[in-house]
Amino acid sequence: MDRNQLIKWLKTPAKMSHKYSLHAVYFCTGCGIIEVPPSITARWDAERFGVVPAATPRQANLFLITGYVSVKTLKAIIRTYEQMPSPKYSVGFGSCPINGGMYWDSYNTIKHLDKYIPIDGWIAGCMPRPEAIFVAVTHLWTLIDKDMADGYKRYEKHYSAFRANQEQVLGPLPWPPLFSSRETE
Amino acid sequence: MELLNMHPLIVIVLTPIAALLAGLFFMGVTRKFTARIHWRYGPPITQPLIDIMRMFSQRPVSHGTMFHGGVILSLAGALAVLLFIPFGNIPPLSGSGGLLVILYLLLVAPLGLALSSGEGANPNASIGISRKLMLSLGYEVPLLLILLTLMTRYGTLSIYDIVHAQQETQWALVTVPLFISGIAYILILPAVLGIRPFEVVQAAQEISSGPLVEYSGPYLGLVHLEHGLTLVINIALFVNLFMGGAQNILLFFVKMIIILLAGLSINAVFPRLRTDQAVSWLWRWPALLALTGLITVMIWR
Repeated sequence: MDRNQLIKWLKTPAKMSHKYSLHAVYFCTGCGIIEVPPSITARWDAERFGVVPAATPRQANLFLITGYVSVKTLKAIIRTYEQMPSPKYSVGFGSCPINGGMYWDSYNTIKHLDKYIPIDGWIAGCMPRPEAIFVAVTHLWTLIDKDMADGYKRYEKHYSAFRANQEQVLGPLPWPPLFSSRETE
Repeated sequence: MELLNMHPLIVIVLTPIAALLAGLFFMGVTRKFTARIHWRYGPPITQPLIDIMRMFSQRPVSHGTMFHGGVILSLAGALAVLLFIPFGNIPPLSGSGGLLVILYLLLVAPLGLALSSGEGANPNASIGISRKLMLSLGYEVPLLLILLTLMTRYGTLSIYDIVHAQQETQWALVTVPLFISGIAYILILPAVLGIRPFEVVQAAQEISSGPLVEYSGPYLGLVHLEHGLTLVINIALFVNLFMGGAQNILLFFVKMIIILLAGLSINAVFPRLRTDQAVSWLWRWPALLALTGLITVMIWR
Protein backbone atom coordinates (compact mmCIF):
# COMPACT_ATOMS: atom_id res chain seq x y z
CA MET A 1 0.00 0.00 0.00
CA ASP A 2 0.94 3.62 -0.14
CA ARG A 3 2.60 3.65 3.23
CA ASN A 4 5.37 1.25 2.41
CA GLN A 5 7.19 3.49 0.00
CA LEU A 6 10.18 4.21 2.16
CA ILE A 7 12.40 5.70 -0.53
CA LYS A 8 9.81 8.31 -1.37
CA TRP A 9 9.58 9.21 2.30
CA LEU A 10 13.29 9.66 2.66
CA LYS A 11 13.52 11.90 -0.38
CA THR A 12 10.71 14.27 0.60
CA PRO A 13 9.78 13.73 4.25
CA ALA A 14 7.84 16.99 4.41
CA LYS A 15 5.49 15.82 1.67
CA MET A 16 4.95 12.49 3.39
CA SER A 17 4.11 14.25 6.63
CA HIS A 18 1.63 16.57 4.89
CA LYS A 19 -0.11 13.51 3.48
CA TYR A 20 -0.36 11.37 6.57
CA SER A 21 -1.17 14.03 9.12
CA LEU A 22 -4.27 15.84 7.89
CA HIS A 23 -5.88 17.59 10.80
CA ALA A 24 -9.33 18.75 9.75
CA VAL A 25 -10.92 21.94 11.04
CA TYR A 26 -14.07 20.96 12.84
CA PHE A 27 -16.08 23.58 10.96
CA CYS A 28 -19.69 22.50 10.91
CA THR A 29 -21.40 23.96 7.86
CA GLY A 30 -24.77 22.83 6.68
CA CYS A 31 -26.03 19.30 6.42
CA GLY A 32 -22.80 17.52 5.67
CA ILE A 33 -21.50 17.72 9.20
CA ILE A 34 -23.81 14.85 10.14
CA GLU A 35 -21.52 12.53 8.19
CA VAL A 36 -18.32 13.60 9.95
CA PRO A 37 -18.87 12.31 13.52
CA PRO A 38 -19.58 8.74 12.32
CA SER A 39 -16.38 8.80 10.30
CA ILE A 40 -14.21 9.88 13.22
CA THR A 41 -15.68 7.47 15.78
CA ALA A 42 -15.18 3.78 16.26
CA ARG A 43 -17.13 2.33 13.35
CA TRP A 44 -15.42 4.08 10.43
CA ASP A 45 -12.19 5.14 12.05
CA ALA A 46 -10.62 8.15 10.35
CA GLU A 47 -7.69 8.26 12.75
CA ARG A 48 -6.14 5.31 10.87
CA PHE A 49 -5.60 7.71 7.97
CA GLY A 50 -4.08 10.35 10.21
CA VAL A 51 -7.23 12.47 9.93
CA VAL A 52 -8.11 13.94 13.30
CA PRO A 53 -10.37 16.88 14.14
CA ALA A 54 -8.41 19.94 15.17
CA ALA A 55 -9.69 22.34 17.80
CA THR A 56 -8.85 25.59 15.99
CA PRO A 57 -8.05 26.57 12.39
CA ARG A 58 -4.53 27.50 13.44
CA GLN A 59 -3.80 23.87 14.26
CA ALA A 60 -5.37 22.41 11.12
CA ASN A 61 -4.34 21.83 7.53
CA LEU A 62 -7.48 20.32 5.99
CA PHE A 63 -10.66 22.29 5.51
CA LEU A 64 -13.82 20.33 4.76
CA ILE A 65 -16.63 22.55 3.57
CA THR A 66 -19.48 20.19 4.28
CA GLY A 67 -22.69 21.35 2.72
CA TYR A 68 -24.37 24.46 1.43
CA VAL A 69 -22.66 27.82 1.88
CA SER A 70 -24.91 30.74 2.66
CA VAL A 71 -23.59 34.27 2.29
CA LYS A 72 -23.15 34.62 6.06
CA THR A 73 -21.22 31.36 6.21
CA LEU A 74 -18.99 32.48 3.34
CA LYS A 75 -17.62 35.28 5.50
CA ALA A 76 -16.77 32.81 8.27
CA ILE A 77 -15.25 30.36 5.79
CA ILE A 78 -12.97 33.03 4.32
CA ARG A 79 -11.78 34.12 7.77
CA THR A 80 -11.19 30.51 8.84
CA TYR A 81 -9.33 29.64 5.65
CA GLU A 82 -7.06 32.64 5.97
CA GLN A 83 -6.17 31.72 9.56
CA MET A 84 -4.89 28.27 8.64
CA PRO A 85 -1.13 27.97 8.17
CA SER A 86 -0.02 26.95 4.70
CA PRO A 87 0.34 24.39 3.15
CA LYS A 88 -3.38 23.77 3.54
CA TYR A 89 -5.89 21.75 1.56
CA SER A 90 -9.59 22.40 1.17
CA VAL A 91 -12.16 19.89 0.02
CA GLY A 92 -15.73 20.60 -1.02
CA PHE A 93 -18.02 18.02 0.47
CA GLY A 94 -21.41 17.31 -1.01
CA SER A 95 -23.00 18.68 -4.14
CA CYS A 96 -23.85 22.13 -2.80
CA PRO A 97 -20.34 23.63 -3.00
CA ILE A 98 -19.89 22.11 -6.48
CA ASN A 99 -22.81 23.70 -8.30
CA GLY A 100 -25.38 24.83 -5.78
CA GLY A 101 -26.85 21.34 -5.34
CA MET A 102 -30.33 21.34 -3.91
CA TYR A 103 -30.27 25.13 -3.44
CA TRP A 104 -29.39 25.94 -7.03
CA ASP A 105 -32.04 28.63 -7.33
CA SER A 106 -31.75 30.20 -3.90
CA TYR A 107 -30.97 33.90 -3.49
CA ASN A 108 -28.83 33.33 -0.43
CA THR A 109 -26.45 30.50 -1.25
CA ILE A 110 -23.15 30.38 -3.10
CA LYS A 111 -23.31 28.25 -6.22
CA HIS A 112 -19.64 27.82 -7.14
CA LEU A 113 -17.39 27.94 -4.11
CA ASP A 114 -14.26 27.74 -6.21
CA LYS A 115 -14.60 31.40 -7.10
CA TYR A 116 -14.14 32.53 -3.50
CA ILE A 117 -11.84 29.93 -1.90
CA PRO A 118 -9.44 27.64 -3.77
CA ILE A 119 -10.71 24.06 -3.62
CA ASP A 120 -8.41 21.10 -4.19
CA GLY A 121 -11.05 18.42 -4.65
CA TRP A 122 -14.74 17.73 -4.51
CA ILE A 123 -16.70 14.85 -3.03
CA ALA A 124 -19.99 14.34 -4.83
CA GLY A 125 -23.05 13.11 -3.02
CA CYS A 126 -25.91 14.39 -0.95
CA MET A 127 -24.55 13.38 1.59
CA PRO A 128 -21.49 11.28 0.78
CA ARG A 129 -21.03 8.22 2.98
CA PRO A 130 -18.03 7.99 5.34
CA GLU A 131 -16.39 5.59 2.93
CA ALA A 132 -16.50 8.38 0.34
CA ILE A 133 -14.58 10.60 2.76
CA PHE A 134 -11.84 7.99 2.97
CA VAL A 135 -11.68 7.57 -0.81
CA ALA A 136 -11.35 11.35 -1.02
CA VAL A 137 -8.50 11.31 1.50
CA THR A 138 -6.60 8.73 -0.54
CA HIS A 139 -7.19 10.77 -3.71
CA LEU A 140 -5.87 13.84 -1.87
CA TRP A 141 -2.75 11.84 -1.01
CA THR A 142 -2.19 11.13 -4.69
CA LEU A 143 -2.68 14.81 -5.53
CA ILE A 144 -0.21 15.88 -2.85
CA ASP A 145 2.31 13.38 -4.21
CA LYS A 146 2.02 14.84 -7.68
CA ASP A 147 2.17 18.45 -6.37
CA MET A 148 -1.26 19.10 -7.81
CA ALA A 149 -2.90 20.09 -4.50
CA ASP A 150 -1.76 23.68 -4.70
CA GLY A 151 -4.87 25.59 -3.65
CA TYR A 152 -2.93 27.68 -1.17
CA LYS A 153 -0.45 28.73 -3.86
CA ARG A 154 -3.28 29.67 -6.21
CA TYR A 155 -4.82 31.78 -3.45
CA GLU A 156 -1.64 33.73 -2.97
CA LYS A 157 -0.99 34.12 -6.68
CA HIS A 158 -4.48 35.24 -7.69
CA TYR A 159 -5.47 36.90 -4.44
CA SER A 160 -6.82 40.06 -6.06
CA ALA A 161 -9.20 38.04 -8.25
CA PHE A 162 -10.43 36.01 -5.28
CA ARG A 163 -10.90 39.13 -3.22
CA ALA A 164 -12.83 40.85 -6.01
CA ASN A 165 -15.21 37.88 -6.15
CA GLN A 166 -15.58 37.91 -2.38
CA GLU A 167 -16.33 41.62 -2.30
CA GLN A 168 -18.87 41.24 -5.06
CA VAL A 169 -20.96 39.02 -2.80
CA LEU A 170 -20.15 40.34 0.67
CA GLY A 171 -19.65 44.02 -0.01
CA PRO A 172 -16.48 45.81 1.15
CA LEU A 173 -14.62 43.44 3.48
CA PRO A 174 -13.75 44.78 6.94
CA TRP A 175 -10.29 43.14 6.99
CA PRO A 176 -7.26 44.31 5.03
CA PRO A 177 -5.98 42.29 2.06
CA LEU A 178 -4.01 39.26 3.12
CA PHE A 179 -1.27 39.37 0.49
CA SER A 180 -0.92 43.04 -0.26
CA SER A 181 2.73 43.93 -0.53
CA ARG A 182 4.55 40.56 -0.61
CA GLU A 183 4.95 40.40 3.17
CA THR A 184 4.37 37.27 5.29
CA GLU A 185 0.93 36.46 6.62
CA MET B 1 26.96 -2.38 35.01
CA GLU B 2 26.74 0.17 37.76
CA LEU B 3 27.56 3.39 35.93
CA LEU B 4 27.93 3.96 32.23
CA ASN B 5 31.46 5.23 31.74
CA MET B 6 30.48 8.17 29.61
CA HIS B 7 31.74 11.67 29.74
CA PRO B 8 29.13 13.87 31.51
CA LEU B 9 28.84 16.15 28.49
CA ILE B 10 27.81 13.22 26.31
CA VAL B 11 25.15 12.29 28.87
CA ILE B 12 23.86 15.87 28.93
CA VAL B 13 23.53 15.90 25.13
CA LEU B 14 22.12 12.40 24.68
CA THR B 15 19.56 12.37 27.49
CA PRO B 16 17.30 15.10 26.07
CA ILE B 17 17.35 13.53 22.60
CA ALA B 18 16.51 10.11 23.99
CA ALA B 19 13.78 11.59 26.18
CA LEU B 20 12.23 13.46 23.23
CA LEU B 21 12.08 10.24 21.23
CA ALA B 22 10.67 8.40 24.23
CA GLY B 23 8.06 11.14 24.61
CA LEU B 24 6.99 10.71 20.99
CA PHE B 25 6.83 6.96 21.51
CA PHE B 26 4.66 7.42 24.61
CA MET B 27 2.29 9.70 22.71
CA GLY B 28 2.03 7.13 19.93
CA VAL B 29 1.33 4.37 22.44
CA THR B 30 -1.33 6.64 23.96
CA ARG B 31 -3.22 7.00 20.69
CA LYS B 32 -2.92 3.37 19.71
CA PHE B 33 -3.91 2.01 23.12
CA THR B 34 -6.86 4.40 23.44
CA ALA B 35 -8.01 3.41 19.96
CA ARG B 36 -7.85 -0.26 20.84
CA ILE B 37 -9.93 0.33 23.95
CA HIS B 38 -12.51 1.98 21.69
CA TRP B 39 -12.60 -1.18 19.48
CA ARG B 40 -11.03 0.59 16.52
CA TYR B 41 -7.57 0.43 14.98
CA GLY B 42 -6.10 3.84 15.47
CA PRO B 43 -3.07 5.46 13.88
CA PRO B 44 0.38 3.82 13.69
CA ILE B 45 2.70 4.34 16.63
CA THR B 46 4.86 6.71 14.57
CA GLN B 47 1.92 9.07 14.05
CA PRO B 48 3.10 11.77 16.52
CA LEU B 49 6.41 11.88 14.67
CA ILE B 50 4.58 12.45 11.39
CA ASP B 51 2.43 15.13 13.04
CA ILE B 52 5.46 16.96 14.34
CA MET B 53 7.24 16.75 11.00
CA ARG B 54 4.19 18.26 9.37
CA MET B 55 3.96 21.01 11.93
CA PHE B 56 7.59 21.98 11.49
CA SER B 57 7.19 22.27 7.72
CA GLN B 58 4.33 24.76 7.86
CA ARG B 59 4.61 28.49 7.60
CA PRO B 60 3.82 29.85 11.04
CA VAL B 61 1.87 32.85 12.21
CA SER B 62 3.68 34.64 14.97
CA HIS B 63 2.34 37.02 17.58
CA GLY B 64 5.53 38.74 18.71
CA THR B 65 8.79 38.12 20.49
CA MET B 66 7.31 36.86 23.75
CA PHE B 67 5.33 34.33 21.73
CA HIS B 68 8.55 32.77 20.39
CA GLY B 69 10.34 33.21 23.68
CA GLY B 70 7.68 31.62 25.86
CA VAL B 71 7.54 28.42 23.84
CA ILE B 72 11.31 28.07 23.87
CA LEU B 73 11.36 28.80 27.60
CA SER B 74 8.80 26.08 28.17
CA LEU B 75 10.76 23.47 26.24
CA ALA B 76 14.01 24.55 27.86
CA GLY B 77 12.48 24.25 31.32
CA ALA B 78 11.26 20.74 30.55
CA LEU B 79 14.70 19.73 29.26
CA ALA B 80 16.35 21.21 32.35
CA VAL B 81 14.22 19.11 34.71
CA LEU B 82 15.14 16.06 32.66
CA LEU B 83 18.80 16.37 33.50
CA PHE B 84 18.13 16.08 37.23
CA ILE B 85 16.14 12.83 37.11
CA PRO B 86 18.05 9.53 37.10
CA PHE B 87 17.09 7.19 34.25
CA GLY B 88 18.13 3.68 35.19
CA ASN B 89 21.83 3.80 35.81
CA ILE B 90 22.47 7.07 34.03
CA PRO B 91 23.46 9.53 36.76
CA PRO B 92 21.73 12.86 37.02
CA LEU B 93 23.40 16.22 36.92
CA SER B 94 23.89 17.02 40.59
CA GLY B 95 24.18 14.93 43.70
CA SER B 96 22.50 16.71 46.59
CA GLY B 97 19.39 18.85 46.79
CA GLY B 98 17.93 17.15 43.74
CA LEU B 99 14.31 17.00 44.85
CA LEU B 100 14.01 20.70 45.66
CA VAL B 101 15.58 21.70 42.35
CA ILE B 102 13.19 19.42 40.47
CA LEU B 103 10.25 20.87 42.35
CA TYR B 104 11.19 24.42 41.34
CA LEU B 105 12.12 23.60 37.77
CA LEU B 106 8.83 21.77 37.18
CA LEU B 107 7.15 25.17 37.29
CA VAL B 108 9.15 26.67 34.41
CA ALA B 109 7.40 24.75 31.63
CA PRO B 110 3.83 25.85 32.45
CA LEU B 111 5.15 29.36 33.07
CA GLY B 112 6.62 29.54 29.57
CA LEU B 113 3.39 28.29 28.10
CA ALA B 114 1.42 30.89 30.06
CA LEU B 115 3.69 33.73 28.91
CA SER B 116 3.51 32.87 25.25
CA SER B 117 -0.17 31.99 25.04
CA GLY B 118 -1.04 35.20 26.86
CA GLU B 119 0.75 37.05 24.07
CA GLY B 120 -1.68 35.50 21.62
CA ALA B 121 -4.44 37.72 23.03
CA ASN B 122 -7.13 35.09 22.76
CA PRO B 123 -9.59 34.84 25.68
CA ASN B 124 -9.68 31.06 25.35
CA ALA B 125 -5.97 31.00 26.11
CA SER B 126 -6.44 33.01 29.31
CA ILE B 127 -9.20 30.69 30.46
CA GLY B 128 -7.02 27.69 29.72
CA ILE B 129 -4.05 29.10 31.61
CA SER B 130 -6.14 29.99 34.63
CA ARG B 131 -7.51 26.43 34.64
CA LYS B 132 -4.02 25.02 34.37
CA LEU B 133 -2.74 27.07 37.29
CA MET B 134 -5.75 26.18 39.42
CA LEU B 135 -5.27 22.51 38.66
CA SER B 136 -1.60 22.69 39.58
CA LEU B 137 -2.62 24.43 42.81
CA GLY B 138 -4.85 21.41 43.37
CA TYR B 139 -2.24 18.73 42.93
CA GLU B 140 0.74 20.63 44.38
CA VAL B 141 -0.62 20.35 47.94
CA PRO B 142 -0.69 16.51 48.10
CA LEU B 143 2.48 16.34 46.00
CA LEU B 144 4.44 18.49 48.42
CA LEU B 145 3.20 16.44 51.37
CA ILE B 146 4.26 13.24 49.62
CA LEU B 147 7.72 14.58 48.81
CA LEU B 148 8.12 15.79 52.39
CA THR B 149 7.21 12.29 53.59
CA LEU B 150 9.83 10.72 51.36
CA MET B 151 12.49 13.22 52.39
CA THR B 152 11.75 12.56 56.07
CA ARG B 153 11.72 8.80 55.71
CA TYR B 154 14.97 8.48 53.79
CA GLY B 155 16.60 11.46 55.48
CA THR B 156 17.93 12.97 52.27
CA LEU B 157 17.10 15.62 49.66
CA SER B 158 18.79 13.79 46.84
CA ILE B 159 16.65 11.70 44.53
CA TYR B 160 19.68 9.60 43.66
CA ASP B 161 20.05 8.54 47.32
CA ILE B 162 16.35 7.67 47.51
CA VAL B 163 16.68 5.46 44.44
CA HIS B 164 19.73 3.71 45.88
CA ALA B 165 18.04 3.17 49.25
CA GLN B 166 15.13 1.48 47.51
CA GLN B 167 17.38 -0.67 45.40
CA GLU B 168 19.05 -1.96 48.55
CA THR B 169 15.84 -2.71 50.44
CA GLN B 170 12.56 -2.76 48.47
CA TRP B 171 10.19 -0.51 46.54
CA ALA B 172 8.81 2.37 48.60
CA LEU B 173 5.37 1.47 47.29
CA VAL B 174 5.29 -1.71 49.39
CA THR B 175 7.04 -0.43 52.54
CA VAL B 176 4.73 -0.11 55.49
CA PRO B 177 4.56 3.59 56.32
CA LEU B 178 5.18 4.76 52.75
CA PHE B 179 2.48 2.85 50.91
CA ILE B 180 -0.07 5.42 52.13
CA SER B 181 1.87 8.14 50.34
CA GLY B 182 2.24 5.81 47.37
CA ILE B 183 -1.51 5.43 47.05
CA ALA B 184 -1.90 9.21 47.35
CA TYR B 185 0.62 9.69 44.54
CA ILE B 186 -1.19 7.17 42.34
CA LEU B 187 -4.40 9.14 42.96
CA ILE B 188 -2.86 12.44 41.86
CA LEU B 189 -0.88 10.97 38.95
CA PRO B 190 -3.63 11.65 36.32
CA ALA B 191 -3.69 15.29 37.45
CA VAL B 192 0.07 15.63 37.16
CA LEU B 193 0.09 14.02 33.70
CA GLY B 194 -2.90 16.01 32.47
CA ILE B 195 -5.05 13.05 31.47
CA ARG B 196 -8.71 12.38 32.18
CA PRO B 197 -10.41 12.78 34.65
CA PHE B 198 -8.18 15.84 35.12
CA GLU B 199 -7.82 16.87 31.48
CA VAL B 200 -9.46 20.22 32.21
CA VAL B 201 -6.54 22.22 30.83
CA GLN B 202 -6.71 21.12 27.23
CA ALA B 203 -10.43 20.69 26.87
CA ALA B 204 -10.63 20.70 23.11
CA GLN B 205 -14.38 20.98 22.89
CA GLU B 206 -14.93 23.55 25.59
CA ILE B 207 -12.25 26.19 25.21
CA SER B 208 -10.73 25.32 21.82
CA SER B 209 -7.78 23.55 23.42
CA GLY B 210 -7.11 26.27 25.95
CA PRO B 211 -3.54 27.54 25.92
CA LEU B 212 -2.81 25.95 22.54
CA VAL B 213 -5.42 27.96 20.70
CA GLU B 214 -3.12 30.35 18.84
CA TYR B 215 -0.22 28.00 18.11
CA SER B 216 0.37 27.09 14.49
CA GLY B 217 3.11 25.29 12.62
CA PRO B 218 6.46 25.05 14.41
CA TYR B 219 5.14 26.49 17.67
CA LEU B 220 2.56 23.72 17.87
CA GLY B 221 5.28 21.20 17.09
CA LEU B 222 7.38 22.46 19.99
CA VAL B 223 4.40 22.35 22.34
CA HIS B 224 3.64 18.77 21.31
CA LEU B 225 7.24 17.80 21.96
CA GLU B 226 7.01 19.44 25.36
CA HIS B 227 3.83 17.52 26.11
CA GLY B 228 5.58 14.23 25.38
CA LEU B 229 8.50 15.32 27.52
CA THR B 230 6.17 16.16 30.41
CA LEU B 231 4.77 12.63 30.24
CA VAL B 232 8.27 11.16 30.40
CA ILE B 233 9.39 13.41 33.26
CA ASN B 234 6.41 12.86 35.52
CA ILE B 235 6.26 9.11 35.01
CA ALA B 236 10.01 8.85 35.54
CA LEU B 237 9.68 10.84 38.77
CA PHE B 238 7.06 8.43 40.08
CA VAL B 239 9.07 5.36 39.09
CA ASN B 240 12.17 6.77 40.78
CA LEU B 241 10.44 7.81 43.98
CA PHE B 242 8.17 4.84 44.58
CA MET B 243 9.21 1.98 42.35
CA GLY B 244 12.91 2.05 43.07
CA GLY B 245 14.26 3.28 39.73
CA ALA B 246 15.96 0.40 37.97
CA GLN B 247 19.40 -1.06 37.51
CA ASN B 248 19.45 -0.49 33.79
CA ILE B 249 17.57 1.75 31.44
CA LEU B 250 15.56 -0.99 29.74
CA LEU B 251 13.95 -2.12 32.97
CA PHE B 252 13.25 1.53 33.79
CA PHE B 253 11.54 1.91 30.42
CA VAL B 254 9.41 -1.18 31.07
CA LYS B 255 8.29 0.23 34.42
CA MET B 256 7.40 3.54 32.78
CA ILE B 257 5.34 1.78 30.11
CA ILE B 258 3.42 -0.13 32.78
CA ILE B 259 2.53 3.09 34.61
CA LEU B 260 1.59 4.76 31.30
CA LEU B 261 -0.74 1.94 30.30
CA ALA B 262 -2.39 1.99 33.73
CA GLY B 263 -2.98 5.73 33.41
CA LEU B 264 -4.30 5.33 29.85
CA SER B 265 -6.79 2.70 30.93
CA ILE B 266 -8.29 5.28 33.26
CA ASN B 267 -8.01 8.05 30.67
CA ALA B 268 -10.00 6.17 28.07
CA VAL B 269 -13.11 5.60 30.15
CA PHE B 270 -13.45 8.67 32.34
CA PRO B 271 -15.06 12.00 31.47
CA ARG B 272 -13.57 15.33 32.38
CA LEU B 273 -14.09 16.84 35.83
CA ARG B 274 -14.75 20.57 36.16
CA THR B 275 -11.97 22.66 37.65
CA ASP B 276 -13.73 23.20 40.98
CA GLN B 277 -14.64 19.50 41.22
CA ALA B 278 -11.05 18.54 40.43
CA VAL B 279 -9.49 20.90 42.96
CA SER B 280 -11.93 20.02 45.72
CA TRP B 281 -11.33 16.29 45.16
CA LEU B 282 -7.56 16.72 45.04
CA TRP B 283 -7.57 18.68 48.27
CA ARG B 284 -9.73 16.11 50.00
CA TRP B 285 -8.79 12.45 49.60
CA PRO B 286 -5.24 12.47 48.21
CA ALA B 287 -4.28 15.33 50.53
CA LEU B 288 -5.73 13.51 53.54
CA LEU B 289 -3.90 10.34 52.61
CA ALA B 290 -0.65 12.23 52.08
CA LEU B 291 -1.06 14.01 55.42
CA THR B 292 -1.74 10.67 57.15
CA GLY B 293 1.38 9.26 55.54
CA LEU B 294 3.46 12.21 56.70
CA ILE B 295 2.22 12.02 60.29
CA THR B 296 2.77 8.25 60.35
CA VAL B 297 6.33 8.62 59.11
CA MET B 298 7.11 11.33 61.64
CA ILE B 299 5.75 9.30 64.53
CA TRP B 300 7.37 6.07 63.33
CA ARG B 301 10.91 7.40 63.49
